Formats: sequence, structure tokens, C-alpha cells
Amino acid sequence: MLSPERRTSMAERRPSFANFSGNSNHIDTLMVPHLAGIEDPLPETTPEKVDVLIAGTGLVESVLAAALAWQGSNVLHVDSNDYYGDSAATLTVDQIKNWVNRIHNSKNESEPYKNAKLYISSSNIGPDCKYASRDFGIDLSPKILFAKSDLLSILVKSRVHQYLEFQSLSTFHTYENDSFEKLTNTKQDIFTDQNLTLMTKRNLMKFLKFVLNWEKMPEIWQPYADKSITDFLFNKFKLEKPQVFELVFSIGLCSNMDTKVPLALNRIRRYLVSYDVYGPFPVLYSKYGGAGEVSQGFCRSAAVAGATYKLNEKLYSYNPTTQVATFTDGSKVTVTEKIIMSPTQAPEGNKHVPEQKYEVNRMVCLVEKDCKEWFSEDESAAVVVFPPGSLKSGNKHVVQTLIMGSGSECCPQGTSIWYLSTTESGVRAEMDLDAALEALEISIIRESSEEITNDNDIVQISDDGRPIINSVRLGQSFKEYVPRESVQHLMKLSYTQLTSTPPFDVVNPALFDNDELNNRANSVNKFIPNASDNGIIYTAMPSSEISYDEVVTAAKVLYEKIVGSDDDFFDVDFEDDDNDAMPTGASVNGVINYENAIEDDEEDIQMGEDDSNEFVGEMEI
Amino acid sequence: MLQFKLVLLGDSSVGKSSIVNRFVKDSFDEFRESTIGAAFLSQTVTIKDDDQDVTVKFEIWDTAGQERYKSLAPMYYRNSNAALVVYDITQADSLEKAQSWVHELKNKVDDNNLVIYLVGNKVDLTKDDEEKRVVDRDVAEKYAQENGLLFNEVSAKTGEGIQQIFQTIGENLYEVRKKENTTNNSNMANRAHGQVDIQLPRPSTNDSTSCCS
Ligand SMILES: Nc1nc2c(ncn2[C@@H]2O[C@H](COP(=O)(O)OP(=O)(O)OP(=O)(O)O)[C@@H](O)[C@H]2O)c(=O)[nH]1
Ligand SMILES: [Mg+2]
Repeated sequence: MLSPERRTSMAERRPSFANFSGNSNHIDTLMVPHLAGIEDPLPETTPEKVDVLIAGTGLVESVLAAALAWQGSNVLHVDSNDYYGDSAATLTVDQIKNWVNRIHNSKNESEPYKNAKLYISSSNIGPDCKYASRDFGIDLSPKILFAKSDLLSILVKSRVHQYLEFQSLSTFHTYENDSFEKLTNTKQDIFTDQNLTLMTKRNLMKFLKFVLNWEKMPEIWQPYADKSITDFLFNKFKLEKPQVFELVFSIGLCSNMDTKVPLALNRIRRYLVSYDVYGPFPVLYSKYGGAGEVSQGFCRSAAVAGATYKLNEKLYSYNPTTQVATFTDGSKVTVTEKIIMSPTQAPEGNKHVPEQKYEVNRMVCLVEKDCKEWFSEDESAAVVVFPPGSLKSGNKHVVQTLIMGSGSECCPQGTSIWYLSTTESGVRAEMDLDAALEALEISIIRESSEEITNDNDIVQISDDGRPIINSVRLGQSFKEYVPRESVQHLMKLSYTQLTSTPPFDVVNPALFDNDELNNRANSVNKFIPNASDNGIIYTAMPSSEISYDEVVTAAKVLYEKIVGSDDDFFDVDFEDDDNDAMPTGASVNGVINYENAIEDDEEDIQMGEDDSNEFVGEMEI
Repeated sequence: MLQFKLVLLGDSSVGKSSIVNRFVKDSFDEFRESTIGAAFLSQTVTIKDDDQDVTVKFEIWDTAGQERYKSLAPMYYRNSNAALVVYDITQADSLEKAQSWVHELKNKVDDNNLVIYLVGNKVDLTKDDEEKRVVDRDVAEKYAQENGLLFNEVSAKTGEGIQQIFQTIGENLYEVRKKENTTNNSNMANRAHGQVDIQLPRPSTNDSTSCCS
């Protein structure tokens, strides 16, 4: 039931800030919520009555929990796993093992994971081995964060960013003709790129100028509204294939050739406006694990605002008439408003989980290669995109790859994590992923075998029997002659994740309409006798989206369902705000200045030399 | 300035928040509520290295309620340099709880240099009435020694021994850091690489609200 009047917010409920007194030690005023507890201490036992029960600590659920807790709702947040993150978790190798077992033994009729296959090199990972299980943090939903995005604003507003550490990612490779082309993603790159004709440069600039304000120029795109973006770029802007592919697949991170014009334009712009917000890079990622860390951050924030947390707690059933939720350990709680649940947490006998008809096929490899060749200096991650048709398998869909090096603190020195994913389904997906993996392997071996040619110890015997010592002169032919070293895989995991969200779409609010019980007229249609989950609202599983973009939208829709409006979504008034000397950024204030991404003066075309010698990825306070 | 992360662990009402409050604000509250709503606070101590003053800053993470059902997130322990594990000398089972936290810490934190300080709080209560004490100092001290923990009994109420806890931890961590730096200079520099402060967009792309910083 949507209550018309609003609950008092967390800030209102809190006692006023105790004055610092006495001690003259340096008190750092930049630090957040003070140490005073709120008025009602939690009872030691599970609360008997809560406003909202949330099951699953994935991204959407965690953002929602924090938003509701700060708004003043009484939230019980549980997860059937013994770790945080659920569908967004960052797991150790041992936890991955258990996770795969859990999927195989799942009794959930709507289990959103299937086909999990796992290989672990047990001579390399385990007790007394070179690597320990917990040296690795493996993301179930690897994600990158655009510098100008709704989640980033919320991270700053909620101060959850203080729990996290972010690093820059500037390298986007497009795989074409068996090699990685580094993205020409800045204006300077475009003008200094020798391979582009003047005509192409002009057309490209014209497009970049257009895309920043595309909505305002319907005359240009409307005739193509139902066409594919590739069509539009080829025909309207006369761009050539390499530029089109870069724009659509590396910059826009679209999944196939058919992505519709408006959607693709938004995705291309997202990259461009994010570029140079914090430095010469468009995206960030969080250290120690991506989505898993971010969801933990929001859970902590929710706890700070008074939410109760219980792991290892699984719902057995919910009775919407009595409003009593029963857990498998026998404990019970009365839920006065809503139950929000991830499909991963659905109780046995569930009948309301929305159909999960889209596949995201994923592969994760732990590899004994640092992959520095793929990263920019001082960075430790890269995105590699395999556009349609670039792979031996004749892929129709893109394979997106996120490479994480040891600087991300997700894997030890000398190793890296490769995350591959595709929206292709079934056997074709498997073939595409295998082909992409092979392309990655060949590429890293080729690029990292430079050392061999400089190694004086290598002696090759030439045709006439004389030893040739200086192998450098042998160049490429020698490199190809040397037996191909293979990439040492420490772990290889592949799985299919189902979702109700179509590729690159945001969640459909109608999905959350399982609450007709409150609406007597519809209750007959919706109530299913013997279902264990009548009255439960299910969240959507993560989509194939590699950025965090769907998360805030989905959390807001749910928030509005519960609170009645999303006006005060994370409208948190920290009491020490006055002391906050930090300047707040453009994105924080919601001011979007598209012009920053690319200045459009024609004079710029004269800019010959690159004038940006900024230190990539470094930001000083 | 050196900065260290310090986490607090221990049963409810043993006085974790009171200890932090004494250290950071030098105050004490008889009727402190059970903690929900704490993020973190920071405070510095000054230590001597020969004749030089070195400032050590602690970022102190109090528990926020997630520990209540053993649901503490790995994020809480991550990268902590020190942990205060607190028990109440007038509550018998609070030492057992403290021991289970020590166990948990050793399992979860992959850092041999983690300084763990076992703190027996509320000694003031035994000053007039020894009867109130239920945990023997010797028992706790022996346990601490066997497990390589620092140990002391303190009172957040009177302030006895509180400053000393942080002073000792600061000195310990400083020594470790000094050794690390001489053996492996790159270690600290590496950490800052590629780091981005998301509160600070570049001035050039910022709106008018950004001025000098
Ligand atoms: N006599 C005495 N009382 C103390 C001392 N330290 C704390 N207390 C009291 O013990 C109670 C609990 O203290 P807190 O600091 O809230 O304990 P906590 O460990 O933070 O508890 P949680 O937040 O529930 O985990 C309060 O009523 C304090 O006033 C002390 O040194 N001596
Ligand atoms: Mg407390």
C-alpha cells in the first residue's frame, strides 16, 4: 500500500550533531557521518516487523536498500549466500567452485544461471601452491563506470565512494583483421591519425559534433529512426567501416549491427561526454572487484542508515494476507510494505519470477600473463571489442572483453583476468567465445614475445648449420618459427546467465507489477494458489550491459513503487555538509555540459601535434 | 603524512564507540546508544622518530550493525592496517566473542603486518569494587601473547590507557612501514597509480562551482 504521507527521513530522525568539545587534536572535518548512534537501537533478535524486506544483495537491491534506509524506511536486507553481491558478487576461486556446485544443484525452478563449466589448475591454485584462492576476486557481472553517469552521481551524493577506490581505464581496442586497433578516441587522435583521409576526418568531426546534441537535430536522424546505426553512419555521414565499427562497437559498446539509431546515439554520446571528466579516459572501475565492491559499499551505507543485514538467510515463503515472511531457518518477519527479491533468491515453489528469455553468455579466464601490452601506462585494465564478423566463428554479435591486471588488486602480479561476454545464445555463443579467447591468446603471445627476440641466450641454427646468435635480425619470421608458447590458464569458467532485460535496454517497469494484491480488482488474476511467492516483486537480473547504466534506473523504479515518488531518492542531508570543503563536480550537480567532450571549433583542425601530455590516469588531490 | 585504516570489533556494548569517542573527541557519554549510523572518523597521533615528529592519521571504521548477524562485509576488513578487538572485563562471554573476532580477522585479512590490539574495557568499574571483574587480566594477557596480539586494559569513561592504544599502534605501524620502504621502495608509490578521486572532476571540464582547490 502506498502511504500518502512520507516517513521522516533518516536525517530528520538523527539526533543533532554533538558539538566537538575539549580535545584540541586535529579533527578531520571531511569525514562522514559522525559517530552518534540513532535513536532506536536494534534489538538483538531478528526484527519482528519491517517496512521492506529485500532479498539478494546484488547491485540494484543494494542501491535500493541504501536509498530506502536513508529515506527512513525500516529495511531488512537478506541474502541466501554467505557473501555479499549475489548476482554482482566478486568471488574467490573457492567461492566460484561452490557457486558452480550451487547452480548444478539448484532447485530453483527459475534458476537464472545454467551451463556452468569450470576448470581450475589445481597444481597452481590452492593451499601450498603458487597462488591462493583468495588472491583472486572474480566478478560475476564485470562492470565499468562511465565518468558521467547516474551511478557515479549517486556514489558521490551518498558518499559510498569513500568506501571504494577507483582507477581509470582509457584503452579500448577494436579487434579487426587479426589485430587490436587502439581506439582513436580523442580529437587529437583523429587529427594526427595518418591513416585517415581529410574527408574522413571532416565527416567524423561532423558526426561527433552532431551526436553531442543529436536530439535537437531531428531533421538529421529522424529519417533513420527505425534504421540501424551502421546504416545511418555509412549513408548519412559517409563514414568508412573502421570508423563506423569503432563508433558503434568500441565507443558505443553496442551488441550488433542492428542497434537502432537513437539508442546507439545515446550510447556513443555517453562515452564522449565521459571522456576527460576526470582525465583523459572515459571510464573507471573499482579496485578489489567491480560490482561486488560497489554493492558492498551500498550495503554498508544502508547499515549506517539503520538497515539490518543477515547473510545465509533464505526465504521459504511469503503470505501476502498475513504479511508474514518465513525463512528456511524458521524465523519470521512481518513486512508491512513490500518484498523485493532477486530471482536468484526465489523460494522453492515460486511461480511469479518473470520469464528470463535473454541469454548473456560469459567466460572468465585467469591467465598467467600480466597483459601490460594491452594497458596504457599506469593503468591496469582494458576493453577489447570483437565486432561482428571479426572472429573465425563468423560472429554475428559482438564479443566484449574486459581485461583486468594485477593493479586492480583482483589478481596477483604476473596474472590477469579476462572477462568475455556475448549476447549471442546457445552453441553459437560458445563458438564465438572460444574464438575470441583464441584471438586473445594469440595476440598476447605475439605481443609479449618481444622479449624472446632480445634474448641473447637464444641460438638458432641456420640452414647451412651456422648458429645465428643475434635473433633480432630475424624479425617476424623467427618469431613465427619459435614454437608457440601457450597461455597458462589458472582457471576457466563459462556460464549462461538469463535475464528478463533485452540486450542494452533498460529494465521494463512493468516487470515490477506483481503487486496487484493491493489492487483488489486484479488480485484474482495474479494470486496463484500454492505459490510460495505471491505478492513478491522480483528485480531483473543484470543485463548484458558492461556499464553500470541500468542500475540506478531500476532501483529508482522500485523506490518509487515503495515510497510513492522518487523525488527524495538519495536526498541525503549529511549533517556535516557545511564542513565539506570539497568542490562538487558537474555530474554531481546534475549539470551536464556536453560541449566539454569535444570542442567543435574548426580551427582545431590545424592542431597538428598532440598537445596533451597529461599523465594518464593520475589525479592528485 | 601516513594514513592507516583501523577497524573496531567486539560484542555489542563492550564500549567500541566509547573508545573511539574518547580518542577522537575526548568525551564520554553514559548513555551511548548501540551503534547504527557510524561511517568513519579520523584522528591523528604524533610519534617521535629520533627527534622528528611524524604525524600518523587513523581512519577509524566503527561497526555499523552489519556485524550483528555475522554479516560483516569483506570491505570492512579490506586494507585495514590495525584492528581493535574490544571486550568488557565485566562480561564473561565478551572475551570469547573477542576471540572469535580475532580468529575471523586472521582468516579474512591477508596481511601479516596487521596489528591486532586486544582491549579489555571498563576497568574503572573495578576500581572501587574488584568483585565486578569477571575476566582475569592474566587470562586475556596470556591469550594475547600466544596469538601475537597487543594487549591492555583501559577505560573509555576515565580515558585511562585510551590514547596509549593508538600511540602504540601508530608506532608499530610506522616501524613496519619504515622497514617496507627500505626493502621495497616501489610498494607505496605503486598504490597511487591510476587512482582517481571521483569527487574531483578536472577543472577544465567542470562547471562554475569549481574554483581553486
Ligand atoms: N563504566 C564504563 N562504561 C563504559 C565504558 N565504555 C563504555 N561504557 C558504557 O557502555 C555502554 C556501551 O558502550 P558503546 O560504546 O555504545 O558500546 P559499543 O561496543 O559501541 O556497542 P555497539 O555499538 O552496540 O556495538 C554505554 O552505555 C557506555 O556508556 C567504560 O570504560 N566504563
Ligand atoms: Mg558502537
